[in-house]
Amino acid sequence: MSSLYLVFKNLTRSKLRLFLTLFATFIAFMVYGTLTAFQMALNAGVELSADDRLIVVNKIHFTQSLPISHFNKVKSVEGVDAVTHLNWFGGYYQDPQKLFTMMAVDPESFLDVYDDYVLTPAEAEAWLKNRQGLIAGESVARTFGWKVGDRIPINSNIFSQRDGSTVWDFDVVAIYRGKDEQSDSNSVYFHYKYFNETQSFGGNFIGWMGVRTTSPDKNEQVVNAIDDLFANTPAETDTMPEVAFNKAFIEQIGNIGLILTSVVVAAFFIILVIVGNSMVLSIRERTNEIGVMKTLGFTSPAIFRMVLAESVAIAMIGGLLGLLAARGLIHLISNAPIQLPPLIMDGTSVFKAILIMLALGLITGIVPAVNALRLNIVTALSRS
Amino acid sequence: MGSLLSQIWTVIVMNIRSLPKRLWMSLAAVFAVSVVVAVLLSFLAMANGFEQTLAGTGSEKIGIISRKGSRSELNSTVSRDNINILATAPGIARDADNNPVYSAELYVIVNGIKRTTQTEVNLPLRGISLGGFELRDTVEIVAGRQFEPGRNELIVGQGVLAEFDGFELGREVRFGKTTWKVVGVFSTGGSAFESELWADALTVQTQFQRGTTFQTMRVLLEEPGNIEGIKQLAEDDPRMNLDVETEAAYFAEQGSALRGIVVFGWGLSIVMALGALAGALNTMYTSVASRGTEIATLRAIGFSNMSAFFGTLAESIVLSIIGGIVGALVSYLFLDGVTASTLGASFSQVVFDFQMSPQLFKNGIILALIIGLVGGVFPAWRAARLPVTLAFKNSM
Amino acid sequence: MSDEILFELKNVAKKFVKGTESIAVFDNLNMSIKKGDFLAIMGPSGSGKTTLLNLLGGVDKPTAGEINFDGKRVDTLSEGQLAAWRANNIGFIFQFYNLMPMLNANRNVELPLLLTRLGKQQRKKNVAAALELVNLSDRARHMPSEMSGGQQQRVAIARALVSDPKLLLCDEPTGDLDRETADEILGILQLLNSKFGKTIVMVTHDPQAAKYAKRTLHLDKGQFVEKDLAA
Repeated sequence: MSSLYLVFKNLTRSKLRLFLTLFATFIAFMVYGTLTAFQMALNAGVELSADDRLIVVNKIHFTQSLPISHFNKVKSVEGVDAVTHLNWFGGYYQDPQKLFTMMAVDPESFLDVYDDYVLTPAEAEAWLKNRQGLIAGESVARTFGWKVGDRIPINSNIFSQRDGSTVWDFDVVAIYRGKDEQSDSNSVYFHYKYFNETQSFGGNFIGWMGVRTTSPDKNEQVVNAIDDLFANTPAETDTMPEVAFNKAFIEQIGNIGLILTSVVVAAFFIILVIVGNSMVLSIRERTNEIGVMKTLGFTSPAIFRMVLAESVAIAMIGGLLGLLAARGLIHLISNAPIQLPPLIMDGTSVFKAILIMLALGLITGIVPAVNALRLNIVTALSRS
Repeated sequence: MGSLLSQIWTVIVMNIRSLPKRLWMSLAAVFAVSVVVAVLLSFLAMANGFEQTLAGTGSEKIGIISRKGSRSELNSTVSRDNINILATAPGIARDADNNPVYSAELYVIVNGIKRTTQTEVNLPLRGISLGGFELRDTVEIVAGRQFEPGRNELIVGQGVLAEFDGFELGREVRFGKTTWKVVGVFSTGGSAFESELWADALTVQTQFQRGTTFQTMRVLLEEPGNIEGIKQLAEDDPRMNLDVETEAAYFAEQGSALRGIVVFGWGLSIVMALGALAGALNTMYTSVASRGTEIATLRAIGFSNMSAFFGTLAESIVLSIIGGIVGALVSYLFLDGVTASTLGASFSQVVFDFQMSPQLFKNGIILALIIGLVGGVFPAWRAARLPVTLAFKNSM
Repeated sequence: MSDEILFELKNVAKKFVKGTESIAVFDNLNMSIKKGDFLAIMGPSGSGKTTLLNLLGGVDKPTAGEINFDGKRVDTLSEGQLAAWRANNIGFIFQFYNLMPMLNANRNVELPLLLTRLGKQQRKKNVAAALELVNLSDRARHMPSEMSGGQQQRVAIARALVSDPKLLLCDEPTGDLDRETADEILGILQLLNSKFGKTIVMVTHDPQAAKYAKRTLHLDKGQFVEKDLAA
């Protein structure tokens, strides 16, 4: 019989209480695991931004357009390796409430600059050839049930065709996956030419440009070169690294990180109090026994360690089960037909969770452990 | 049986009086419930504040005409021709000179700097004609003066001044190549319009190369809520592809943008409530165990097991309601009235306040009550079934 | 002591099942208690004293046989009926007093009266009378924690008396008290019996305490054995 066996026996003496404390811990770590995944997904745009990519937008605001002539001029700027342009389309399929990211792009340069989209050469080829072809991300395709080969009507909430209609027909030529697990797969891309020739607003404007520099060291130089190039023209530009643009955009929504962190902290506070109290009580109930153990020759430090081992065990078991449940939940959410950024749980967040479990276990156990350590045999045996 | 009620009452009073003996355990339950309620109410107050702000923005007296399916002013376009035709529609109120009261407006987005984070955010710049002021009777210039048509002059909403940098009265602001001067500050009584910058519509049209198009048309309705005449005209003309709504309906829809937050807040709180429930059960089982002799003694004296049941249940409910009230008060004290801003449906910042309401408060208390009920009923059942012989057995 | 029989046990058996084993505390127990009796029940641990007390108090039921109280069967009553029956007929006195720690003496004594239809004023009068009887009027507003063991037991006796039950059941009433205090408590019980005619059944293993009773029964292994202690 080892002291580990004693710890186990102590843990399981009151099954109901063990279950309740484990359950509270379980819930807190499930909340932690799930919300952390959300937080990571929100930051994914920033995390996955390529160092060597820049965004060129209209200086007034990125919702203002640029003339397409800018595109050709940027191509020849020194330090620019590749450039592409994008137009926001405001697309929706059947339900105007279910907007998704849909952009008109120049496919060839688009796939060159943005290598985050995984397409087979055959799929890429098929897209380049089909003027009405679009490529859709896995997630958006799942949401609407699109398959390769489908011909689908998509509305724009901004643009109209020359005949006044707001509907465009497209062929789904490929469904892409993200290169990274967290890459966005909620977007749809189609030919700029198709867009430019059919919409009624007057053509040859673009929304913004994506630029790949020859090397991240050249970024600053390229930023200045592009903005200088268009200074004092009717459409001045504002060029910035992709990461800065993405970060600013996320921050516009509000401080979501703070909200999620507060909730997680609140959840941990709850279990801290519940589990801590439960530990204090369960040790108090055992006063007599601890006294007996001391008379049998168990040293005080040994008893101290056993109490801490008990609380750490509760935190670890409940916590790991909670993380497991969070994983299941994340999987469930990711496969649901709703548009969310991809949720994942990575090694770092698991590692952090385990550190928190250890800390919680030690904090909740420390008071009863010290009480047990200090317990005087005579009072322990007389207090019944 | 009257005596059953008095029995139950006696036991309830006794249990509650003895709460201080189980102080820490009871506080743990109270604390857990209060945290859950505070989390719930924070989310609800956020969504409520946002919804109230946008609900307060729209008026029943104003009709808004936009491109079909655009769902936001930013996406919409309405041509000068269409505006001229619609101005003749029946149901539009007329001014003293018998001209229809309407305003053709533009809505473009410019950059602002959010004060709290010093990051760039989207701010709406509304191009508005003087007719637009006739429509909006709540507008008041609180500092400076009105812009002069034809000049690059801006007036800014109070919400903009509170949340964003760079638009102080008298300041010059650059949008691309053009320079504008802030000449006035306006208030609209707390609506989303206060998060906007306003300028002369025709000037905005020129400076932002919008040709002769506008984005929305607003009309003053003869009879509040009645848009039928305009709707009819728009539908009868095949050249028009326009939606007609009251402004109230338009903004109410935008206010529902944070509904997801409500669902998320409830989901999260319910999951966390399960954790708090574990705490409540733990507390109450411990309470029953520590009161075992008392319960059995009362039973021996002749008290019914119902009194043990309800006494325990009441204790649990009292604890959780205290927790609920504490949680609600904390979120009220710390969050009610806190100003925040987020991206609204028109892709621009909407400034709003967290708003608590009696209804939300009630929701929080109901959640607490459910935790108390469920957390009390099982331990209460155990209390009711404790053997009376326990009263004789404490001589261990 | 009258000749009227208050309590009668006929062929009572009580078995406990523990795991696979069944332990018979009583096989075939017969006894009767007359009104006005003061009966002490003695016996070693495990002899069945406590089980007998539980059966008499209606907090436990026999496995077989019948129990009559004042001419009516009580072993067939439901739990709720038993609770009401206890409230009307039995006053309990426990070894550890079992006072409610958060109620003062007055309110502890008042507890059983809450089960009656008595009004507030009447309850107050009865409580005062009961405390007077145990000579504790001056401690009426004290909490149990502010009283000695003997005082607490006197409050408990007042609580047992206040609803004027037909039978007082005492479980080792002096087991936790020193000799002098014990004598004081037993004196009160004796007085209640002789002066007020209360029927009392007292379980004890203290021969000194048993001397205060009118008669003593010895239980051993579930049977009454004749033993003349007076000798």
